[in-house]
Amino acid sequence: MVKAYKQEYTYKHPWEIVSSASWRKFADPENKRILSHIREVDTLNHKLDPSCGKLYTTRAITIHAPGPWFIRKIVGQDICHCVESTVVDGQSRSMQLTTRNISLQKFIEVEEKIKYDPHPDNPSGWTICRQETSIQIRPLSALASMAEKVEQRCAERFVQNSAKGREVMERICKYLEAESSGITL
Amino acid sequence: MGLLNKEKKASPPSSTSPCANLRAAYHNCFNRWYSEKFVKGQWDKEDCVSEWQKYKACLSEHLEDKHLSRFLEADEVPVESTIRVDPATAA
Repeated sequence: MVKAYKQEYTYKHPWEIVSSASWRKFADPENKRILSHIREVDTLNHKLDPSCGKLYTTRAITIHAPGPWFIRKIVGQDICHCVESTVVDGQSRSMQLTTRNISLQKFIEVEEKIKYDPHPDNPSGWTICRQETSIQIRPLSALASMAEKVEQRCAERFVQNSAKGREVMERICKYLEAESSGITL
Repeated sequence: MGLLNKEKKASPPSSTSPCANLRAAYHNCFNRWYSEKFVKGQWDKEDCVSEWQKYKACLSEHLEDKHLSRFLEADEVPVESTIRVDPATAA
């Protein structure tokens, strides 16, 4: 059983602003209230290729996902570590993030891909965000019957959280724009 | 103390909490570099080298999760093909 979701969203802000906002999404203290499931974000590794303007980054994202009591009972923890790999291609103005859980893989695998590109209708002013999430619950025999319910719950949670994520992104874009118009223009 | 209680009690410390200040210093520096230089095509070199080294040293001391510390030590990034670039070892 794999559930996959695709979402598309247009930010009416240029790619430079949107990709900057993406880096700040989890770190900004003001957003911690909304994205309260995010506990910590640590950068583990990063590399710049100066010859072609590509930036590679690996971050650890610690998520607090309390969930229903029986999940906690089964998995024995309510903290989940995810690893997010990002490639930014400065030349073609493209940012791609891939996030996977590394804890609880015995029970569930979640992969989320987000790609930010200049919008074809307005490449210098807008950004298109394409998001793909796939969720798979391991069909352990004892869990099989409840697996689907859990999967559904996880999926709902993800959709809710990505809506919250967009709200946060929009806010950061606005303040980055205000900031940059005050300083450079 | 009393006034801030409501916001404070939400999250117990995680293993990397001792690095919070160094992490904030690095992320602030990185965010500034990214939006003021990188997106404008100034990607010939990375800023924030000393911030990164201090933060990374702290992480390697405190990061408890084995799965995660693997990425710290790895010199390669687990996406696409990677090109070896020596990070500028600032004096």
